[in-house]
This record gives sequence, structure tokens and C-alpha cells, in this order.
Amino acid sequence: MFRGLWTTFKSMFEKPVTVAYPEQKRPVRERFKGRHVLKRYDNGLEKCIGCALCAAACPSDAIFVEASENTDEQRYSPGERYASTYEINMLRCIYCGFCEDACPTEAIVLGDNYELSFTGRNQAIYDKNMLLEPVPSGGLPTPQVTEPGRFTRSVPEMKDPVD
Amino acid sequence: MEAQTTTGKFVVPIGPQHPALKEPGHFEFTVDGEIVTGASVRLGFVHRGIEKGAEARNWVQNMYMVERVCGICSHVHATAYALGVEQLAGVTAPPRAQAIRELVAELERVHSHMLWLGVAAHEGGFDTLFMYSWRDRETVMDLLEAICGNRVHYSVNLLGGVKYDIDDKLADQLRKGVDFLEGRCEHYMKVVTTDETFVGRTKNVGKMSKEEAYELGSVGPTARASGVDRDIRIDAPYVSYEQFPVKLITDDAGDLQARFVVRIKELYESFRLIREILDHMPEGELTVKVPRRIPAGEAISRVEAPRGELLYFLKSNGTDIPDRVKIRTPSLCNWSSVVNYAVGHKLADMPMLLAGIDPCFSCNDRSVTIHRGGNVQNDWSWEQLRQYGIAYYR
Repeated sequence: MFRGLWTTFKSMFEKPVTVAYPEQKRPVRERFKGRHVLKRYDNGLEKCIGCALCAAACPSDAIFVEASENTDEQRYSPGERYASTYEINMLRCIYCGFCEDACPTEAIVLGDNYELSFTGRNQAIYDKNMLLEPVPSGGLPTPQVTEPGRFTRSVPEMKDPVD
Repeated sequence: MEAQTTTGKFVVPIGPQHPALKEPGHFEFTVDGEIVTGASVRLGFVHRGIEKGAEARNWVQNMYMVERVCGICSHVHATAYALGVEQLAGVTAPPRAQAIRELVAELERVHSHMLWLGVAAHEGGFDTLFMYSWRDRETVMDLLEAICGNRVHYSVNLLGGVKYDIDDKLADQLRKGVDFLEGRCEHYMKVVTTDETFVGRTKNVGKMSKEEAYELGSVGPTARASGVDRDIRIDAPYVSYEQFPVKLITDDAGDLQARFVVRIKELYESFRLIREILDHMPEGELTVKVPRRIPAGEAISRVEAPRGELLYFLKSNGTDIPDRVKIRTPSLCNWSSVVNYAVGHKLADMPMLLAGIDPCFSCNDRSVTIHRGGNVQNDWSWEQLRQYGIAYYR
């Protein structure tokens, strides 16, 4: 019995193993796959070119992409096309990361956010405005007016991604 | 809760909705006073139609589908499926991928057995052990999260390889976690074998002899606790179990305590294996290319899930969608043994006896055909089912 009480006594001085969520948050792991983020280039242009490869790769048909033509007066992304509609149904999404793998421009990235809650099915559909990351400092919001002939290449030069 | 039947037998029905059950299952115990004289079980309340759903998705999508058969043993389901598809396609995953598959499978076994240890202790009214083992289980969950980013559905497997590599930093993290867990497991072993109240509840309870285990078709640790030397990792080594062999663990006692002992000893074995794999990880590629259309044919793949033998039957017709995916889960095979050894014990022992096989209710999402003999037609065709459904909802 004393051995048992000794265990109890010892654990009084141990650090608690629980985390007081939501006041404190545990950092997510490097390979954690949370809510999607649509990335932008440093100049503010969207990386997504509306190719819909992510929608093709999706095992649960959660992604819907509709593409439109870019013009130099109204430029959203480099190259010819951009995603005018980009919707992800978060109730269908299984966070497998195939969209991330399929993306030729690294536009869609599974981020850190795991706090998703909705009160209706309609709210579970995240549209492009909710998914796009904010414009980086020094960049301009889309659509931009750009000089002709500068953003002709839709897939940028990339090095091998790590992780 | 209690029903008096006309034959004078007293039947205690439990479930499908019951405060003591975490998941739906229906049990009927015939009792004589406190002693159980008969038991029956009804399953299938969590039928989700995964096998049928698999026939509407392509091979890659099904990878994710089968992972969701069970939240605890999701990796072995995916491994069994991937091995079957690779067998059909005539490719083999590279050695490094095989080793990582085995590593994650063993980590998953650790996590599953520790979860079970907690649940079983909780059913036995020993909540301290439940809290401790679940606290320590967080260690292995964190390791799994570090490997693949997810706590539950690891999705490490791909058709033809694995997604995630293990680097040196991760390997050190794994070694440290495993060392900690090994120390804790020695403590649990001591508790399970020496604690008086615990031994009183487990020793000589739910005894099953070796012959009975064979006859009732028990699998996994439940069978091994009765002395049956049955382990797919040894009988038919898959992934890299040939390179990193596992030692068979059996116990001849066959009672509830033996099931605890076997599982904790398996934890030691898993820790040893994890270290060995980390020390001798083969170098090389992680994936090979698997064609989108899988050649026509049939394949059977067997793996050892934490609960026992898991069998996948795959049939391909040469397209990118499977013709048939048949899953035989381990929990289903063990129910007959529970129903058998429950007889003669007190009603109060039932929760622990039920927990003793490590029942997984999502495993029970299978259909079973029972041949009663005679001319009873139990099979319904698709059209009959449809007509029945229309009439039912009219």
C-alpha cells in the first residue's frame, strides 16, 4: 500500500502531460496536413493556374476548379489561365495530400490549421477567397495590370521540394 | 434491461445501445443467478458498405477507402491492400519501402496493444492502469504523427511503395520514444502479473484450451495466448519480415491473464524490431511505378494485424476499378471463442472477457453467411433487397 501511495506522492510533482487547449496549443508536426492554403508569388500573383490536376487527383472528389483566361489588363496568375472558381468541400476532404503532390506550381499546400468547424453543410465548402493566403508585403492584390509578354510561362522554374 | 422468457430462462440483453458499450453490438446472456449459461452475439450494426463502395472507386482511391475500415489498424489494411494490388500488377516495392512499412506496422501494433491494455483494464475496473497506459500511448502517437503527420490514418502506403522517408533525426526520436515505452511496459508487466486485485480478476478466467482455439478458428494474440503458434508474420512473411524476423510469442495458460501477458510480450518484440529496422534500414528508392490499369486476375494477401490475421481478396478485370474487394477482419473470427468461453463465468466478468479479444466493432462491418442446414434461404439477391427496401419505406 505504501508503494502505491508513494507513486501517488511522486506524481504530485510531475509536470502535467495534458495541454490546456484552447488556451495553449501544441505545435503541429512538420508533416501535418491541415486545411489547404492557396499560395501566392512574392509579387502577389496567384500560383494556381486552374489546371484542375488537383481535382483529378482527389480520391474523394472534394475539389472543384473552374478556369478562366488571364489578360494583361486583368492578371491573376502567370500564364494563360487562372482559377476563377476554386472550391474545396471540407466535409469530403480526407486530407491525403494528393492535391499537393499533383500541383505543378505548388499552389495548393496543406497548411497548419486544424480548427475547422461549421454549422451547416454549405459552410463546409471553402471557396477561393477563404483559401487564398493574404497578399505578401510588397505584392499587389489580384487582378493586376501587367506589361505584356512578361508572365507567359505558367509553370515556374522549381527545384526539388523538400518534404 | 432484463427480460423474462417463457421457457423460464433469464436473458440479459446488452446493447446495441448501452452505456457500457462504446460501440454498437448486441449480446444476449442467459443467466442462472449470477452465472452465465449461454451467450449469443449479434453484430453488423455499423455496416458501412465499404466492400461495395470499393467497387465504385479506382485502385488508388480504394487505398484510402480501406484505410478507413478501422481507425486503429489502418496501416495494416492499407498494407494488405497494397500488397494484393502489387501482386496483381507484378511489381514489388523497393526494400526501403518494405522496411518502412514494417516499421510503421510495428509502431501501430504498439499503439493498438497499449490502447487495448487501457481499455481492458478499464473494463476490469482498474482505471489507474487505463490512465497510465493511455498517457504513455501518447508517446507512440506522437512518433506516428512525426512520421506521417497524422495521428490516426497514417496513409504511409502508396501502391508500389511508401510516401514518407525516415531520416536520422526521426530515427533518433523513434529510438528515444521506444526506450521510454519499453521501461513503461516492464512496469505494466509487473502490474499485470503481480497486482493482487488484477490477478484475481484475470487468472483462470475465460480459459480456452489449445484444441478449442483451433476448433473455433481464433486468430492473433487470442489464439497465441492459448498456445496456438499462428502468426502470419512468421508463417507467411510479407513486407520485410523475412529480413527482420519476429519471434513467436505464445502462452499455454489460455486464460485472460495470458492474453495480457502475450500482448505485452509482443510489445517488447515490437520495440526490438523497431530498433533493428532503424539500425539496418536498407537504402534505396521509396516507390516503384504501378500501372493505372491493373491486369486481370485474382490475388489474396494476408497480413498480421494487431488483432490477428487480416485477409484481402482482390479481383481485377483489367480496368482501373476492382471487380471485388473482400476483406476478412480478425475480430470477426474471435467472437465465437468469446461466446464459447463466457459460459460458466459470472455476469460481472463479461465486460472483461469481451474486451479480452480486443474487439474492434468497425472490424465487424462484414456480412457473415451462416449455414444452418436444411432449406432455409438466407441469401437475398440485389433485386430482392431492392424490392424489400421499396416495400419497407412505402
